[in-house]
Amino acid sequence: MTSTACFMIVSRNDIPIYEAEVGTAPKKEEAAHQHQFILHAALDVVQDLAWTTSAMFLKSVDRFNDLVVSVYVTAVSHTRLMLLHDSRNDDGIKSFFQEVHELYIKILLNPLYLPGSRVTSSHFDTKVRGLARRYL
Amino acid sequence: MSSNDSNKICRTPVTELTRSSFLHHRIMADPAHFAFRKMILDEITPVVMVLPTPLVEQGCQKNGLSFVQMLTPFCVFNNIDVPVRTASDQPYRLQKFKLRMFYGSDIRQPNIEVTKERLEKVIADAGKGEDSDLYLDPSPIETMATSSEPEFVPAWFQYFNKELVRSVSFSDHEAFDHPVACLLVVSSSDEDPINKFVDLFNTNQLPPLLSDGAMDPKIPKYFILVHDNQTGSLERATKILAEMRNTFGSNDCRLLCINSSQDQLIDREPNPWDPYGSNASSGQNLGCLLNHEDVDELKDFVRNLSSKDIIPNMEQRIRVLNQQVSATRKGFRNQIKNLWWRKGKEDTPEVQSVNMYTFNSIESQIRVLGDYAFMLRDYELASSNYRLLSTDYKLDKAWKRYAGVQEMMGLTYFMLNQSKKDAEYCMENAFSTYLRIGTSGKGNATRCGLWWVEMLKTSGQYKDAASVYFRIPGDEPLHSAVMLEQASYCYLLAKPPMLRKYGFHLILSGDLYKKCDQIKHAIRAYRNALSVFKGTTWSHIHDHVHFQIGKWYAFLGRFDVAMKHMLEILSCSHQSKTMQELYMRDFFQILQKTGKTYSISRLQLPIVNISSLSVVSEDHRTYGSLAAASVKESVWQSLEEEMVPSLSNAKTTWLDLQSKLLPNKLKQSNICVAGEALKVEISFRNPLQLSIPISNVTLMCEYSANEALPDANSSSEIQGDEDGKIATGSESSSDTSLFTSSEVDITLAGGETTVAQLSVIPRKEGLLRVTGVSWKLSDSMIGFYTFDADLIKKKISKQKRKAKQDANKLEFLVIKSLPRLEGVIHNLPETVYAGNLHRLSLELRNSSEISVKNLKMKISHPRFLNIGNPEALDVNFPSCLEKKESCAHKDADLDATKLSETVFHFPKDTIIHKETPFFLPLWFRAATPGNMSLYLTIYYEIDDKSTAMRFRTLRTHHMLEVLPSLDVSFFISPCSSRLQEYVVRMDVINRTSLRNFKLHQLSSVGNEWQISLIESIEHIFPSGNLEPGQALSCFLKLRNVKTTETEMDVWLGSGSSEAILDTKRAPLVNFHHYERLHQKTSHQENQSTVDFMLISRMEETETVPSDVPTPPQIFSHHACHCSVSTKRPIWWLLDGPRVNHCNFSNSFCETKLKMTIHNSSCFVVSVRINTFDSPPGGSPSGNKVGWHDMSTPPSDDTKKLVSLESVPPFIWSGSSTTRVKLEPNSATEISLLVTTFAPGTYDLSNYTLNWNILDSNSSREKEGVCYGRPFYLTILREE
Repeated sequence: MTSTACFMIVSRNDIPIYEAEVGTAPKKEEAAHQHQFILHAALDVVQDLAWTTSAMFLKSVDRFNDLVVSVYVTAVSHTRLMLLHDSRNDDGIKSFFQEVHELYIKILLNPLYLPGSRVTSSHFDTKVRGLARRYL
Repeated sequence: MSSNDSNKICRTPVTELTRSSFLHHRIMADPAHFAFRKMILDEITPVVMVLPTPLVEQGCQKNGLSFVQMLTPFCVFNNIDVPVRTASDQPYRLQKFKLRMFYGSDIRQPNIEVTKERLEKVIADAGKGEDSDLYLDPSPIETMATSSEPEFVPAWFQYFNKELVRSVSFSDHEAFDHPVACLLVVSSSDEDPINKFVDLFNTNQLPPLLSDGAMDPKIPKYFILVHDNQTGSLERATKILAEMRNTFGSNDCRLLCINSSQDQLIDREPNPWDPYGSNASSGQNLGCLLNHEDVDELKDFVRNLSSKDIIPNMEQRIRVLNQQVSATRKGFRNQIKNLWWRKGKEDTPEVQSVNMYTFNSIESQIRVLGDYAFMLRDYELASSNYRLLSTDYKLDKAWKRYAGVQEMMGLTYFMLNQSKKDAEYCMENAFSTYLRIGTSGKGNATRCGLWWVEMLKTSGQYKDAASVYFRIPGDEPLHSAVMLEQASYCYLLAKPPMLRKYGFHLILSGDLYKKCDQIKHAIRAYRNALSVFKGTTWSHIHDHVHFQIGKWYAFLGRFDVAMKHMLEILSCSHQSKTMQELYMRDFFQILQKTGKTYSISRLQLPIVNISSLSVVSEDHRTYGSLAAASVKESVWQSLEEEMVPSLSNAKTTWLDLQSKLLPNKLKQSNICVAGEALKVEISFRNPLQLSIPISNVTLMCEYSANEALPDANSSSEIQGDEDGKIATGSESSSDTSLFTSSEVDITLAGGETTVAQLSVIPRKEGLLRVTGVSWKLSDSMIGFYTFDADLIKKKISKQKRKAKQDANKLEFLVIKSLPRLEGVIHNLPETVYAGNLHRLSLELRNSSEISVKNLKMKISHPRFLNIGNPEALDVNFPSCLEKKESCAHKDADLDATKLSETVFHFPKDTIIHKETPFFLPLWFRAATPGNMSLYLTIYYEIDDKSTAMRFRTLRTHHMLEVLPSLDVSFFISPCSSRLQEYVVRMDVINRTSLRNFKLHQLSSVGNEWQISLIESIEHIFPSGNLEPGQALSCFLKLRNVKTTETEMDVWLGSGSSEAILDTKRAPLVNFHHYERLHQKTSHQENQSTVDFMLISRMEETETVPSDVPTPPQIFSHHACHCSVSTKRPIWWLLDGPRVNHCNFSNSFCETKLKMTIHNSSCFVVSVRINTFDSPPGGSPSGNKVGWHDMSTPPSDDTKKLVSLESVPPFIWSGSSTTRVKLEPNSATEISLLVTTFAPGTYDLSNYTLNWNILDSNSSREKEGVCYGRPFYLTILREE
């Protein structure tokens, strides 16, 4: 079964700093912008929801047709990890977010990384994709 | 109710039942609330069925109106003030009232297709109206969010929604669309009007609602006679009316007179029919034949109809129905009965016939009661009945009816203003139930959704409203598009505004509009979305929006606007290749269709890498190539140090001159010379994966005549300025020829970065500023990039070498044309084997009229490049190297090069004129393997004092790759048998992988050393060819001689056909000189070293075409400072007879030996000769005390013993120790005597020489021991 999963890290001011299609579904051209649109729109909901709970993991904040948006709000400079998915594996998604958050913190610890700039580390990319295979 | 109270009610928008709700309502009376209330009151009002005869219509059409249209304006009452009593006899007054008039033929479910077409027309019409503002920039989102709704929400949405709601009217499951009365209209000109009346209410033509039993066909009928005053007299009409009254009863008959205005057409302002006018008759003056009396009559008629007939009738009906319902359903007993009865029906199949609930079923009656109560604003009654009904329908699983009741319940709750939550719950319930029943409920679901949305909007729940819009079913993508667009506006109106949702839903709606070919709507949606997505960093969103808008504008033919958007997507590097191809294809198509030429600042295709910008301007420094220009300035400066007038000197000499010509403030700026190219390098990067050709890459320049010039030297420099004035005069006249820029075409493959080399040649004196670079992406798309002064400044601060150039690095002062030398080195190979010797020639050209003189040259690596004698140009290479007898001037040659050291002065009379190139021979020898950069700088002075510069330099830079060829090493050891002689081992290895070498000769350089082969070369190296990888060792004898004419060269070649080359002539001697300098180490003594030069030839390869006579490749390898000295300063030689015959007459034999000791050091040495009687090998450790080597294994002792036994003893006679003192470079002889006692062969090596350097302060070893070398003496018995 193919699944759709689009992972994105959005920094302050809604600037995407990392994006990856981690689903198993074959890549479609129009999917790229559609996923971005859905995630972008979901930010509106996240914005409201983030302050109503102390949990970092907000599951299924928004949905579009059969695609669900889950968000993990980090405490660091209002960075949000967003996942667009069609599976219903909340525990897996939560673990995925926690591990990616850890990776992201490691990126932040790099003195050469300017917070809020694009994450270009290939190591990070392979790790994230590996985590996606494991948990999603 | 008192009149005072009623007045108050008049002021409120609606009339209320109770005081409490009225008060409550006043608080809630915000505009949105009011709007929805009004909408509900407009929609849910009593319907009156109209059945006219054709003649009635004819009469009405004279006014451009149908009968219903004629009445419609008067069907709305704002202050009808009718007293009504509720079912429980509570009086209240209706103020607002409205009747809906429909022809009997219209009272049916609207045709789906017709409705669809009508809705599409609404949208299309709305689209047409958009033209005007479609091309403007979208207004910023901030102002939109604050402005009130109607300003940016398209007005046609309301109209569209209304149409959508009406598309499901006259359904049989709800009663508020059922006619409450029937108007039978007959014209006075009709024949037999009474029968006409009877015929009109013919059951065959009645609407399905009445005929199929959904409602009671016995509705109140009113008989109206319409009299057209133009067609007949009033008498006939009154007669008919009287007849009617007789037949149908006096109360229900009316007479209406129309078209009373006989002659003049009546113009009304405002015309009451305008809002209701039929589509086709827009030009006609509606109601032109109706005079005031007619209009008043119409008004009175409808008013009386409402207040006297319809409302009391409805009230009456409510009473009757209420009693029936109470009788059958109210009370505990009835409820139990009902429940039981319905339980029993549960078994019946769910697919019930549509007409299960006929008009006389109790359910339908309750529904009618509820709807009537609702229409008469008795919401309490309506609500209780709906509640009652909904449980029934639910139990019956009559879902559509259930949903309809729920819907009405929701509306009632809303109108009652009691429980918002209940109202919303009912609406949601109704909505989802309608959705659940499938296609038949979709239209109702839409209506219900729209009402629900409006309800949510009134309480400010825009977010929920948007999600309801989203849920409204869209069989038609077009309808969905409209719903989505409305949803998006809800997100915008939400508090706080949800802009991203707004944008997203606009995009969704735009896509649907596009699907339905409503391009203009699609563009509007996207354009509004753009206000959200403008400048977004979400790359795919950004590209998608701009690409789609661009494409659609292009579709509409607005290519100029389309281009504006298409330009945004040019740097789509994150897209996949197919998308990039698509984008580019559409971009170029649109560009082509536009037919305009665009020049875009900072066009993103390709990307200009501004930090790569490098400018090469030539002032007094000129460069032979761009590579030379990129070499660090410090390299050149260190090279030119000695040649160019020193900096301080230069300031005083030529700046003095310059200051006359140049104003002070321009001294800082860069200088370039008219007619000479200013070179700029800048790199372009292609962000795409496709290859893009760009053409006409050129520099943009500004030229200004030097205006500052006259100001600066106004007073003092008048006499020298004639030139300048003339120049400025001519400049203004010919602007075109001020400068010429080069144009370059490049093709950038995907992701490639290419450096474009551009140049501009100023033609006139003045001020030239390089402002930017421009290029053509296609014929009509020009991109340009203006060099920002700030950027350049930053770059300079980073790069130290440019630091001395000022901030206005791109501003150049153009000075008068100057001579400029151009130099070419001919024959310089790019790849060469180490040691290869070449003759090159340097060609210098001067294209200017002014000649140059006083040339000097300096070479960075004299080891590689040497300046030849100018006469050597014509001589034949390599035969010129051959040894000749006339060696008169060779020393002079050598002196010249050595004396001048680094700077080469050209002959004094060298002047280079125009068109006469100057040639200078150069010798080239690849000294060491590796990559080599050679720098050459030539200094020249200009033979014209009036120019701004007195001298210039030409800098050239050459890159070579030197491959390894032969490795030559020498190993020198003293010869044991001769004094002052050495054995030299020469190891040669061919390091090349392909080429053969032929050894030619080995020479020792200088006059001191004579070398000769120990064995003949044919013997040791018969082939004469050194194959790749082959090594050769050969031994040579080296002798120190002081005479001048010695054999210094050894022929190593196989044949003797070729002449030996002269190593004392240029260039070999020159190169050797530099090799010596290079190989020199810190502590070398001149005396005891020898320099070798191995000359070889490379075998010509077969691949070289034979018809080209290739000169033989000469190689020279130099090994300098090969030390001959050993650590010890002394040489000795034991000499004497090797064989001695003795008769042993006196039982022993004495042999006289002679030892020659030579002191080769420059100090006085004392030598002590010790002789031992012990056999050789077991020599004691001499005079060493303290620590000494004990590592000799004990096995040595046994060996010693053996040798002791095998060798007969001998003794040294004479003194066992002799001490001599030797002066530097002197020799002495010592006699030694050895006594043997038996014939045999004796090894006379058991002696030591202990030497000790006296009076030496140097740190080197002061003393040492030399052990004796084997000397075999054979004693034979003489017979």
